[in-house]
Amino acid sequence: MISNTPKPAWSAAANTAVPQTVPDYPRQYRRRMWSFVAVSLLLIGVVLFSAMTGSLKVGAVQLIQGLWSGTDAQVNVVRDLRLPRIIVALMAGAALAVAGVLLQAVMKNPLADSGVIGISSGAALISLIAVTVFPALYFWMPAFSFLGGALAWAMVYGFSWKSGLNPVRLILIGVAVNAIFSGLGQSFNYRGSYAVTSINQVTTSTLSMKKWVDVEVILWYGGIGLLLALLVGTWCNYLSLQEKTARNLGLHVTRARLIISVIAVILASSATAIAGVIVFIGLLIPHIARQLVGSDHRWLIPFCALSGGLLLLVADTLGRTLLAPQEIPASIIMAIIGGPFLIFLIRRSDRIHGH
Amino acid sequence: MDIREITFSYDRKIDRLHQVSAEIQPGRITTIIGPNGCGKSTLLNVMSNNAVPRQGQIILDGKEIRQYRPRELARKLAVVHQQNEAPADLTVEQLVRFGRLPYKTMLSSRREEDDQAVEWALQCTNLEERRYRTLDQLSGGEQQRVWIAMALAQRTPVLFLDEPTTYLDMYYQLEIMELIERLNREHELTIVMVLHDINQAIRYSDHLIAMKEGRIVMSGEPEQIVTAELIRSVYDVHVAVRQDEEAGLYVIPVSVRQQTLIEA
Repeated sequence: MISNTPKPAWSAAANTAVPQTVPDYPRQYRRRMWSFVAVSLLLIGVVLFSAMTGSLKVGAVQLIQGLWSGTDAQVNVVRDLRLPRIIVALMAGAALAVAGVLLQAVMKNPLADSGVIGISSGAALISLIAVTVFPALYFWMPAFSFLGGALAWAMVYGFSWKSGLNPVRLILIGVAVNAIFSGLGQSFNYRGSYAVTSINQVTTSTLSMKKWVDVEVILWYGGIGLLLALLVGTWCNYLSLQEKTARNLGLHVTRARLIISVIAVILASSATAIAGVIVFIGLLIPHIARQLVGSDHRWLIPFCALSGGLLLLVADTLGRTLLAPQEIPASIIMAIIGGPFLIFLIRRSDRIHGH
Repeated sequence: MDIREITFSYDRKIDRLHQVSAEIQPGRITTIIGPNGCGKSTLLNVMSNNAVPRQGQIILDGKEIRQYRPRELARKLAVVHQQNEAPADLTVEQLVRFGRLPYKTMLSSRREEDDQAVEWALQCTNLEERRYRTLDQLSGGEQQRVWIAMALAQRTPVLFLDEPTTYLDMYYQLEIMELIERLNREHELTIVMVLHDINQAIRYSDHLIAMKEGRIVMSGEPEQIVTAELIRSVYDVHVAVRQDEEAGLYVIPVSVRQQTLIEA
C-alpha cells in the first residue's frame, strides 16, 4: 500500500524549477481513484478470506450457497459466530479511523486519536460501570459509553484550551486524561473481578464471542456516526485553515467544532463499547489516507472508513489464525504492527499535512 | 461602516483599545498605522468580528456586526489575515473556491455564479496560470495573492487586510499594493488595512488612522496629517518629511530621538 506513494513532488528546493503547466492535478485524482479501488478490492478479499478461514474451514462457493439456502450446518456456524465478528471488526475499525480523522481536524493535531487522548478509556470506564450496575441495559451501552467519551473529550479540550489549542499541551493533557481513566478502569476491573468474572469485555478488547446483538448495536450507533461524519467533510476542510480565516469565510467555527467532536465521540465510544479499547487505528489510518487521497476530507473520511475497517479485520483475522487455536486480541496485534509502522511512516514522509 | 467607542481587553484588566471611534468611508482606502502593540491589529480583529469588544459597537450597513449571522457577514466583509495556513496539497483554485462558502446552502449550489466569482478572483490577482499549483509551489508574493483571491471570491463590498506586505520583498510589496489600489479604483472595493510601512500608507491611502497605545491620535488625508510632529508623537522617531515630484509625499526616518540629532 505504501510503496506506491510517490515521492513528494514539492520539496522546498524544487519549487522554482517547476514548469508552468501542471501535471500534478490529474495525478492527484488518479491516485485517489486507484486507492479507493485497491482498498475496496482488498476489503472484499479479506472479508471472504476471514469468513472462510479458522478452526472451521469452508470454501467460497459453499459459503455463498450456504448463506443463501441456510441449510448448510457448517455455514450456519460461520454465520452465527464468524460473520458477526467480521462485521463488528469492520464497523469498529471504520468508526475508530473516522473518529481519529475528525478529532485531528477539530484539534488541528495529527496526533489526536481517541485511544491516545483518553476518549476510549473514558468510554470504557463509564460503560463498564454502567453494565455492572444495570446489566439489563445492554443495548444502551454505547450511550453510557458516549457519556464517558464526552467527559474525557471535554476534559482534554477544556484543560488544554488557553486562548487557542497548543498541539503539544493537548497531547500531554490527553495522555494524562487517558492515564486517569484507564487507571480507574483497571482498578474497577481488579476490584470487581472476584464478583463479576470475565464479562468485562470493554477492557479486554477482544473481538471474539461477538453475536448478532452486538452487530445490531454497532450498526446502529456506528452507522449513524459514519453517516453524519460524511456530512461534515466540508467543515473539516475549512477548519484546516486558521480559525480567524474560517470565521471570516462565514463558518460558525465553534458550532462546527462542537458538532464534529460529538460525531467523533459517538464513533469512538460505540466502537469502544462493543470492541474494547483499540489504539492506533485512528492515528495510523488517517496518516496513510492523507498520503494516498490527499487532505480533502470529503474523500478522506470515506477512505478512512474503508481502510479502518480493513485494517481491524486484518488484525483480527491474523490474531485468530496465527496461533490457532490460541487467539491474540486485535488490539494487541494493532499495537504490535501499529507502533513500528507509524514510526516508519513518519520517518519516511517529509511532508506533514494539516500545517 | 462606523466604529463606535470601542473598548477592548484580552484579559479584562488592561484595555488594549480605549473608546476608539472612527468612520470608514465607503469606496476608499483607509489605512491604520501605529507602532507595535498600539492596538491596530486588535482594532481590525474587532472590526471583523474576531474579537468581542468590552464596550462599543461596530455598525455595518446599519446593523451591529455581532447581530449578523456568520455567513451573512461573510457576504459583506472579507478579511486577509497576516498569517495563514492551509493543507500542503490544496491547489490555488481549490483554495480560492473556499471563498464561496458564504453562498453555499445545504441543498442548492449556484455553480455558475461560483465559477464566475472564482475566475474573477483569479484574474484580478493574476493567478490564472497558477491555478493548479499547490500553495508550497508558489513564491511568497503569489501565496499572499492567493489569500487575497480567496477573500475576493467572497464578492464582498468591503475588504480588510492585516499587514498584507509584511515578509515580502520590495517587488512583491509593490505588486500587492498596486493590486489593492486596482481593486479599489476599478472594482470600487472599500479597503481597510493595517500597514507597517508609513510610506506605503501615505502613497496608497485616501485616509489614514494613526494609533498609539490603544487610542486614535489623528486621522485624515495623508497629505494633511503626516508631519514630523505626528510621526514623532506616534512612533517616537524623528523623521524628515519630503515632497518628491514622482513619489509624492514621503518620510525618511532620521533617528530614534531628536536629541541625538541636535547633539550631533
